[in-house]
Amino acid sequence: MSGARTLQVLLALGGMIAWAVQFTIIYGVTSTLCGRGWADATIFGIGIVPLTILTTTLATLSAAAILLAVSLREDRRLRIRPASATDSFLSHAGVLINGFSLVAILWNGVPAFILPACA
Amino acid sequence: MQSALDPAGGDAWQLYWLTVVMTVGATLIFVLVTALLLYAVFAPPERRAWLGTRRTIVYGGLAFPIVVLSLLLPYGLIVMRDVDVPQPGALQVEVIGEQYWWRVRYPAEGEQTEFSTANELVIPIGRPITVSVTSSDVIHSFWIPNFGGKIDMIPGRINRFNFTAERPGVYRGVCAEFCGAQHARMAFDVVALEPAEFDAWRRMQAQPAREPAIPLLARGRELFRSGGCGSCHVVRGTEANGQFGPDLTHVGSRRTIGAGQFPNNIGTLAGWIANVQQIKPGAKMPSYGSLTGEDLRAMAGYLESLK
Repeated sequence: MSGARTLQVLLALGGMIAWAVQFTIIYGVTSTLCGRGWADATIFGIGIVPLTILTTTLATLSAAAILLAVSLREDRRLRIRPASATDSFLSHAGVLINGFSLVAILWNGVPAFILPACA
Repeated sequence: MQSALDPAGGDAWQLYWLTVVMTVGATLIFVLVTALLLYAVFAPPERRAWLGTRRTIVYGGLAFPIVVLSLLLPYGLIVMRDVDVPQPGALQVEVIGEQYWWRVRYPAEGEQTEFSTANELVIPIGRPITVSVTSSDVIHSFWIPNFGGKIDMIPGRINRFNFTAERPGVYRGVCAEFCGAQHARMAFDVVALEPAEFDAWRRMQAQPAREPAIPLLARGRELFRSGGCGSCHVVRGTEANGQFGPDLTHVGSRRTIGAGQFPNNIGTLAGWIANVQQIKPGAKMPSYGSLTGEDLRAMAGYLESLK
């Protein structure tokens, strides 16, 4: 696979990777802190569990949003000039996957604002 | 009969409405999707063409589910946050799952002394209740559908279930985790009383067993003693102090016997003593089928008199 194609695939799957990173950090950190009894610790007055979820969510959300913006720009660019079927597919897939990942990351972060840390 | 569709407490009402919203919503969406599917199959091509447009797919296939799930997610999380919350001043009760019955303990509170009972949870209405549950053998699950969700009873671990009963009545609780051959026969009554009635019940339960009033009952007590029943059962105020089986100090005051299996009366008590292994095979109490009819009546009468 050429370098350009690799970048296309990574762009198409980028949102999903961001979602997976968020999922792993949120569940891993929350489980460890709650399991060890460290969930009451605070940083700058904010609970360590909600703070982890908030920062991870914002970071991965930003990454997914940037990837979505790049995918949309790429998709528009391919509409106005001839493109191969593979290029079109990867472009459409990138828009959809990055868009869905944005929603999934938001959904993963919502419980931090409603439920207690170790519910 | 127990029913999650007949809520008797605030938490149960929240779970009920969550169920209603999801069931009604899911049914409407199912009907809509089925109608669109039939339309797509049977309508003339020129009339169904709009179903395949990008606009329909984006709005109906992507935006609609995202909006619905984005509303349901916080709703479900808010219900999770608001139910089963410990309340200050809650009545503390401990329930221990056993194969195949429920040991119920009321810890000392103020001037009220500690006591145990079995297969019956008596509570006051209007006061928060915290039930601490665990198990002495295998995993059971404590579930009173009229009052909310179920909670696992795990050996070596204490889980807590919080609820408040809003109206008096008798409700049924069940074991909701397969725990062995008699899992299906492991139920209990939840009796929700007015606070004054509950206080009277609690004072009565803390008392030792009453003395037999007539010779037949005295003979029943003697048979209970000589038969070794006291090595497994406790009857406070007598020498029977076994901890293996249910506390029988006030067994006659309970509504049912055998963990919700039969109404409590002298006939069912006699049948239980003589034939427990036929009624509930695998229960840890042996059948005492060798007792004569007269002895059986005396012993059952004694137990029935323990109000």
